[in-house]
Amino acid sequence: MSSPVQHIVIVGGGTAGWLSACVLAARLRDKRITLVEAPDIPTIGVGEGTWPTMRETLATIGIPEAEFLSQCDAAFKQGSRFDGWRDGSPEDSYLHPFSAPPAAEIRDLAAAWQAGGQLGPFAAAITPQHWVCAANLAPRQRAMPDYAGALNYGYHLDAGKFAALLMRHATQRLGVTRIAAQVTGVTRAANGDIAALMLQDGTAIAGDLFLDCSGQAAILIAGECGAEWVDRSDVSFNDRALAVQVPVEPGSPIAAQTIGTAHEAGWLWDIGLPTRRGIGCVYASRFLSDDRAADILKAYVAAKVPGADPASLTPRKLSFRTGHRDRFWIGNCLAIGLSAGFIEPLEASAIVLIELSLKALAENFPQSRAVMDIHASRFNELFRYRWDRVVEFLKLHYVPSQRTEPYWQAQRAPETIPPRLAECLALWREQPPSPWDFPRIDEMFPAASQQYVLHGMGVPVPLAGAAPAAPARLADIAAKARALAAALPTTRDYLDRLAAQSPAARIPA
Amino acid sequence: MSQHQILNPADHGQLRIHIEAGAEFGDNVMASLAMPAEFREVQAHYPIVFRRDAETGKLAALALFGFEAGENLYLDGSTWEARYRPMAHAVQPFLIGRPAEEGAAPQVHIDMANPRVAKGGEGMRVFDETGAPTPYLESMANMLGDLDYGWHEGAAFFTALEAYGLVEPFTLEVTLDDGSVQSLVGYLTIHEERLSSLDGEALTDLMAQGHLARIYMVLASLAQFGNLVARKNRKIALG
Repeated sequence: MSSPVQHIVIVGGGTAGWLSACVLAARLRDKRITLVEAPDIPTIGVGEGTWPTMRETLATIGIPEAEFLSQCDAAFKQGSRFDGWRDGSPEDSYLHPFSAPPAAEIRDLAAAWQAGGQLGPFAAAITPQHWVCAANLAPRQRAMPDYAGALNYGYHLDAGKFAALLMRHATQRLGVTRIAAQVTGVTRAANGDIAALMLQDGTAIAGDLFLDCSGQAAILIAGECGAEWVDRSDVSFNDRALAVQVPVEPGSPIAAQTIGTAHEAGWLWDIGLPTRRGIGCVYASRFLSDDRAADILKAYVAAKVPGADPASLTPRKLSFRTGHRDRFWIGNCLAIGLSAGFIEPLEASAIVLIELSLKALAENFPQSRAVMDIHASRFNELFRYRWDRVVEFLKLHYVPSQRTEPYWQAQRAPETIPPRLAECLALWREQPPSPWDFPRIDEMFPAASQQYVLHGMGVPVPLAGAAPAAPARLADIAAKARALAAALPTTRDYLDRLAAQSPAARIPA
Repeated sequence: MSQHQILNPADHGQLRIHIEAGAEFGDNVMASLAMPAEFREVQAHYPIVFRRDAETGKLAALALFGFEAGENLYLDGSTWEARYRPMAHAVQPFLIGRPAEEGAAPQVHIDMANPRVAKGGEGMRVFDETGAPTPYLESMANMLGDLDYGWHEGAAFFTALEAYGLVEPFTLEVTLDDGSVQSLVGYLTIHEERLSSLDGEALTDLMAQGHLARIYMVLASLAQFGNLVARKNRKIALG
């Protein structure tokens, strides 16, 4: 019998670190978990959008939804809206919502929408969520049970407050040990595994499995274990972002989705929270100067945020490399979060990759060192697959564009399109995206997501061999949308009522 | 103090209604009017009894939810533990309004003082952004129409009961699990003895007018008193 895996040591205390601590503590009750974080290292704070998976994650961890919403200044996210990506005209806008009909049905509905002459936006034809988002409505009522909704949803949140909530929850309710110290190095076991972390004060933290949640520094997976960087900037050009947080007027509407607005050499994100909007300008430095990006950002704020003073804003500049490690799990060290890789936050893939990594780990946890290399090899294969799918899906947002700026033309140059995506695009001229294209467990972007983007960008639905749904089915969706729009409160009303109900000062658990 | 208004998109475009059950929404009542036309649904859940109006002397039917004022034994927090609610209760906060001119179509009115009228942006909208009625308002308007019809259609039923002398006073006394005695007085029910002694001509007449089946539904509904007592005992047991 090889040595059991009992003690999990996490390095880094951002979203990745504390989410890892909470999920593993909640799911692997018999393990000991220690998190080492350097005091006073600021978190990056870009990942402010989650996927619907976060509801199950929070429920698993055991945080009530109302507590999460009020502590993290959070709002509901029901998808992403893309403005100006197709041709930049004023009416150029489409939604990639989180709710989708079943795969078989979506095919027939899509065909009916196409055969009917594309009346209205694609997403509006196939899901009531389009109208709910358009009216800034919440996906649920307060009387519903936690984490249940009339529509599928995730969250927008304040990442700093989220990490703080997770830390309190992990240390006070889940028995995770927190050590505030700088990691200066590691000691090795005979087989090359990490045996212990060496801290600045000279103490050693021994462990059986080490999670590298140290962010872009990647001090374990790259610094110690020698994982190589796989650069993806040949496909994904953006490498800079200017971020601001703009306070909003009390009572102002809260958007139901992330808004991504294309500009001449990139795009802007706009994430609405109850008290502020997080807005950022993402761009490719070889196509756009920092000054020009700042002008684009300020012009957007001036145009889109009532009452804001763009001149008073000092954007924070972020530079990033697009890519990921060649291996995420080496020996007894596993990289989760930015240490594993980074790509522009176009579809908010950062936090969901953390959740998927933890799910894969928790459901395939090595109980002993003997099987760890098997798990590592499977994990590496799975997450290389997932990174490839993320890179391709983000690229899909650019390839059908008709915008004419040099950046947009470069984005659709054939040599920048991954071969598998090029193949899919060829197939999708004849047949719709389907589970044949995305056959794995927990595919991040299933066929429905591909269809929302494809048809939102104006790529027609192939009708050869299609069986369009009856017009009555499309009418059913419109009727459902009317009923939902009548029943759901606006997100602003929902969150204001929740805040009024929550006690101002909370008693720590 | 009720505050009736004619429902319209100009004044009530943003109006929302709390549609869930709850004492705070006025569901803590011991009874609701029941129309003879809905006896089939009502008798499956509630005892049906009659009451004579003190001023007019006219009969009306009630579905009983409890034994004393303010007691609804079917209400558990925000859950109403029966699939059907009598129309006269379910239609709140809406009412039927009759325009002054003769023959004009009835209107939907709303009692803005009813606690179901929401403040604060949560609840079901009655008009959408374009001012068109929502599916909810459409269903409530339909129910108002059914209620109005049921009210007028039911008059003949009570007239027939009086004509054949088929009602008698009714008193209920039950001893609950904690030893206390619960009584119900002042209501009327079907005079079973007289019903069973009706001759063929009378029965044919009642049947032809559709009253006979409803009479037996009222009789059958008395079996629901057993459920009402059980609910009361459960409430006592839970403190």
